[in-house]
Amino acid sequence: MITAARDYLFFLRRCLSVAFIGDWRYYTWMALLTGVCLLGLNAYTKQLVHGLVVTGMTDEVSWGVYIANFTFLVGVAAAAVMLVIPVYIYNNEELHDLVIFGELLAVAAIVMCLAFVTVDLGRPDRFWHLIPGLGQLNFPASMLSWDVVVLNGYLLLNVHICGYLLYCRYQGRKPSKWFYIPFVFVAIGWAISIHTVTAFLYVGLGGRPFWNSAIVGPRFLASAFSAGPAIIILALQIVRRVTASSAAVDFTRPYQGDAPGRPASLADLDQLAANLPGLAALPLAARQELLAGAAVIPVAPGDLLLRQGETGHEVFFVLRGQVVVKLEEGGRYRVTRTMGPGGQLGEVSALSATPRVATAIVEEAGAVLRIPGGTFRRLLEFPAVEPVLRHRMNTRLMITDKALLTLRSILQVSMIINVFLLANEVFKEFYSGNLHVASAQYLFLGLHGYHALVPWIWTAVVFNLVAMFILVLPLSRSLKWLDVACVLCIVGIWIEKGMGLVIPGFIPTPLGAIVEYGPTWNETLVCLGIWALGLLLYTLFLRMAVPILQGRMVQANEDPRGKSRALHKTTHCPMQSSSPHSLVGGVLHPDSKTVAPESRSHLNPSRSRFDRLTVSDKLRGIGPTGNDLRPATPAADPPRGPGAARS
Amino acid sequence: MTSPEPTSYPEPPRAKDISRRSFLRSTAAFAGLSALAASLSPLRELSDFASADEFMQKYYKEMTPDDMAKVLQRIENDVERQYGMRPHVRDLKPMDGVEFVYALNLTRCIGCRKCVHACVAENNQSHNPEIQYIRVLKLPHGSLDMEKADHNYAPESVPEKGFFYMPVQCQQCRNPACVKVCPVNATWQEKDGITVIDYDWCIGCRYCEAACPYFARRFNFTKPEIPPERLNPNMAYLGNRPRKQGVMEKCHFCVQRTRDGRYPACLEVCPVGARKFGNILDPDSEISYIMRTKRVFIQLKEEMGTSPRFFYYFDK
Repeated sequence: MITAARDYLFFLRRCLSVAFIGDWRYYTWMALLTGVCLLGLNAYTKQLVHGLVVTGMTDEVSWGVYIANFTFLVGVAAAAVMLVIPVYIYNNEELHDLVIFGELLAVAAIVMCLAFVTVDLGRPDRFWHLIPGLGQLNFPASMLSWDVVVLNGYLLLNVHICGYLLYCRYQGRKPSKWFYIPFVFVAIGWAISIHTVTAFLYVGLGGRPFWNSAIVGPRFLASAFSAGPAIIILALQIVRRVTASSAAVDFTRPYQGDAPGRPASLADLDQLAANLPGLAALPLAARQELLAGAAVIPVAPGDLLLRQGETGHEVFFVLRGQVVVKLEEGGRYRVTRTMGPGGQLGEVSALSATPRVATAIVEEAGAVLRIPGGTFRRLLEFPAVEPVLRHRMNTRLMITDKALLTLRSILQVSMIINVFLLANEVFKEFYSGNLHVASAQYLFLGLHGYHALVPWIWTAVVFNLVAMFILVLPLSRSLKWLDVACVLCIVGIWIEKGMGLVIPGFIPTPLGAIVEYGPTWNETLVCLGIWALGLLLYTLFLRMAVPILQGRMVQANEDPRGKSRALHKTTHCPMQSSSPHSLVGGVLHPDSKTVAPESRSHLNPSRSRFDRLTVSDKLRGIGPTGNDLRPATPAADPPRGPGAARS
Repeated sequence: MTSPEPTSYPEPPRAKDISRRSFLRSTAAFAGLSALAASLSPLRELSDFASADEFMQKYYKEMTPDDMAKVLQRIENDVERQYGMRPHVRDLKPMDGVEFVYALNLTRCIGCRKCVHACVAENNQSHNPEIQYIRVLKLPHGSLDMEKADHNYAPESVPEKGFFYMPVQCQQCRNPACVKVCPVNATWQEKDGITVIDYDWCIGCRYCEAACPYFARRFNFTKPEIPPERLNPNMAYLGNRPRKQGVMEKCHFCVQRTRDGRYPACLEVCPVGARKFGNILDPDSEISYIMRTKRVFIQLKEEMGTSPRFFYYFDK
C-alpha cells in the first residue's frame, strides 16, 4: 500500500518534472501563456478591488462575456464524449488513443468554466456558501446549484478516467475494466447532463422569453457536438505536428528484419515469459510449437526491424534492449511507441497482411525474437496470453487521418442539426411576430436604432453555413479544408451561443428598456487570462500524456504488475551488464531504465532515486517537442550516428 | 547488479554549465515571481475586505438570538466606523396574522418620481452610482406594452398629456422566480409576504437578477457610497442596513418601517395618494377595502404565474 502510494507520488513528480522540459518553442509558448495569465490575474485583482463595475455589465445586462464563455466551454467539455462514445460503445479502434486527448481537453475546459463562473461572482470569498453541509446549496431548486454539482462531478470523473488510464499505461499494465468502464459510461450520461443543465439555466427563466424556449437544450447539444470535435480535430493535428519532431530515420543502417539470427530455444521463450504474463502458463507442447520458424536476432542501436510501407508477415518480440517505432507523415517522424523487453511489433501488418504502418529502430542493443505471423495468430488463440497481446496492440500513439475523418463525420451531422435548429428558432421568433420577438429582432436586425450585436450574429450565421457546406462537400476530406471548416465552426458557434445567446436575453429588459452591452478592456483581459490558463493546462496535460502514450515514460524497469522486484532484477540485470551502450561516447546513453533499480538495490533513500530519474528524464528529453532532443545540459545528446553509437 | 554503479550516472555537468544554468534558472524564477507580484499589486488597494467574523458568519436562519445579537453589534460598529454615526440595527421578524399587499392607483400617479428618491433616502441605497428600487415608466395613453415605455423622461413638469405613469418595484410575488433560482438560499419569502435578501450570505451571481420578470433587483457593482449626513440610522438586518460591494439588494417594503407599524417611505411621500399599503389579512384595513371595492386590478405580467402582491388599479 505504502509502496503503491510512493510509486504514485513518484509518477506525479515525474510528470511534473517533464512539464518543465522542452525546446525553445515549448518555453516560448508557455512563457507567452503565463504572461497572458498574469495579465488576466492583474485585471481580475482590479475587479476584486473595485467590483464588477470594471466590466461592461449593468443591472440591465447583468451577465456578459464571462457567462458567454462559460456556456461555450461547458459545450466543449461535454463534447469530449463524442470521442468516448465511438470508442467504448462502437469499439472504434482508430479513436482509441485519442480518448485521452478528448478527456484531457474536457478537464481543461471544465477548469476554465469554473474560473469563468468564479470571476463572475460578486463575492467569490463566499464560495463556501455553495458547499453542501457547510453552506446552503439550494439543490435541487436552483439550476445553478445543479450546475455546481454536475460540473464538479464531471471534472472528478474525467480526472479519474484520464489519470487512471495514463497511470496504467505508465505502469505498463492493462487497466482493470471495473476501475474505469463504469465511470466511462457514467461520464457519457454526465456529459449530456452538464450541457443540458447549463441550457436549463436559461430555459428555466420565464421572464426572459428569448431563453424560455424548449429548443435551447437541443441547440446547446448540437452546437457543443460541433464545436467540441472541431476543437479536438485542431488540437490533434497540433499534437501530431509537435510530436513529429523526432529525428529522421537513418535508412543506411542495416535492416535486421530478415536477418537469419539463430533458431530460438525454450530458454528464449522463458526470457520472454518474464515480460509477457501468461506465456509461461502455456503447455510445453504449445511452446515447442511456437519455436517453429522462430529466430533470435541480436541487434545494435540504429538497426531497422520494420520499414514503413514494406510488406512483412513476421512479428517481433523484444527480448532485451529497446526498440522505438516511428511513423513517417509528410516527411516528419513521430514516435508512436517505445518498447522494452516483452514488447511486440509488426503484429498489425502480420495479422492483416497490410504494409508495415511504421518503421522500427533499435534504440538500445539487445535481441529480438522473430516469429512467423501464423505462429502469432496461433498464440492469440491461447486465453492466457491473448488479452495481454491484444492490449499491447492498442498501446500506441497513432493520430491517423482516418481518426480525424471519423471526427469529421460526427462534425458533419451535428453541424447540420445545429444549423437546422437555429433555423427553427429563427422561424418561430419571426413568423409569429408576437411581442416576444424583440430580443431576436435586436440580435438579428437591431431594435429602435440599437444594433451592437447585428454584425456579430451575421458573421456567426455566415461562418456556420460556410462551415456546414465545406463539411458536407467531399472537399473537407482534405485536412486543409477540414481545418478551415473547424475554425469557422468554432468561431461561429462561440459567437452564436456565447454573446449571441446570453446578451440578447437581457435586451430589452423586462420593463422594455434597451441598454447595450460591450465588454470592457479589463473584462476582456480577464477572459484572455482564463483562456490562456486553459491552454496552459491543456499543454501541460499533453506534455505529460504524450510521452506516456508513446511509451517514452514508463515505470522504470519494474515488473509490469508491480509484484516481485527480485524477479525482474534477475531478468533485467544481465541485460544491463551486457549492454555496452549504456555509456556512449563518455556520456550515459540516456535511458532511465538503467538507473532506477540500481538505486533501489543500493537502498538509497527515495530522494536520490527521484533526482537521478529526473536527470535521466532530462537527458532522454522525454516529451512531445523533444523526443530526440537536446538535453537540458549543453553536454550534447550523443549523436546517434553509427560512429558514436559504436564507440 | 554486475555493472559498476557509476556507469549509470550521467557525467556530472561542468562547473561552468551549472553556474550558467542556475543563473538562468534563478533569473527566470525571480522574473516569474516579480511578474506575479506585479500582477497582484492592485490588491494593495483592497480596503473593504471581510473580517474573519463576517467571513465565518452563519446563515441567517441558522443563527441563534445570541449569534444575531453579536452580528447586529458588529454591523453597528462597522457603520459607526465608516459613517461616524451609531445606527440602531434591529432584526425585525414578520408578525403573525400579517400579509402585506401594495396597491397603486394608476389614475392618480403623476410620474413625479418623489417615491423613487424617498426610497433611496430611506433605504440607504448607494448615491454613487445611484441605485433605485423604483422605476417609473411613462407609457403612451392606453398601452401596457412595456417596449413603448420611456424610462428616462425629463419634461419641465409632469404629468404630460397623452401619457400615464406606472411605477414598478419589487412585486413581492407569491411565487417568486428569484427565490427559486438562488443557488445559496440567500433570498427567501417571509411569512408576511416580503421577499428578503441576506446581504451577508449572497454570493453575487446575479442569477436572481436574470430571473426577475420585473427588473426589481439591483446589484452593487462597486462599493456603495452614501454621504454620511444622508444615512438613515433606523436600520434592519434584512432591510436598509448599508450593503457591501458585490451583493444584491431590492425593495423590501421598508421592513424597518412596516414591521414596526409604519407605512413604507414611498407611500408616505406620494403627493397624490396613489399608493396604498396594508395587511390583507385584516378585513378592516384600507388595503382590504380597496381590494374589495375596486373593479379592475392589474397584476403585472400575470401570465408569468408569479402572482404579485403588488396590484395596479384605476379610479375611473
